[in-house]
Amino acid sequence: MNNKEKYDQAFIESFSVEADALNENLTYQSIAEWDSVGHMGLIAALEDAFDIMMDTEDIIEFGSYTIGIDIMKKYKVEI
Amino acid sequence: MDKLTLNCRELQEYQPNRYPFLMIDHVDEVVPGQYAKGYKNLTNNEWYFPVHFPEGPNMPGALQLEALAQMLTVAITTLPGLKGKVTHALQHTVRFKREVLPGEKLDISCEVLSWKRGICKGKGIASVNGEPACEAEMMITIPEILEEFLPKAKGK
Repeated sequence: MNNKEKYDQAFIESFSVEADALNENLTYQSIAEWDSVGHMGLIAALEDAFDIMMDTEDIIEFGSYTIGIDIMKKYKVEI
Repeated sequence: MDKLTLNCRELQEYQPNRYPFLMIDHVDEVVPGQYAKGYKNLTNNEWYFPVHFPEGPNMPGALQLEALAQMLTVAITTLPGLKGKVTHALQHTVRFKREVLPGEKLDISCEVLSWKRGICKGKGIASVNGEPACEAEMMITIPEILEEFLPKAKGK
């Protein structure tokens, strides 16, 4: 599984969404599943998938699917 | 961390619930961040027995679950800096196995499975004379901490 597939899989499993929902419109609180608990689940899933530990400021900044792609670059993860 | 024992007054420093909703009497042993175990003694004077039920008093299942959640809370709020913090339930899965009756002692044991960024996942079992009465998988949060990690604006 490449990085894009692992990144997408984290969203799909955390929020029970279809692959076609993974776009710029997928933002924090845009769907019921991406609430406060869902956010922590997503971050944990990404940390597990890429073996990283995200900084607090990045967890706060991680407000959308597309913003997350940029944030992952800080951890040397190219999506 | 060191083991602690908390009597009925001490535990209230770590558990903000009060009468009539404090569902633990004593914490026999707690290792902060790992586990907590103790008990609740049920007398005929418990406020819920006259109404649940007049002809067959037993401890409401929701309150058994609350007892487990309160004990799990103690396992977290005894960590440094968390004394007295309020916790909220996020998600519980529970199974009840027997009635808990007036005069019985409910032994309560909870284990922390994970504690990260304000969310605690744990499991617990409440039993009477070694016989399981209630088992639960629980997720609780300290909102004050959780909120520190959330994106600030919707639709960012």
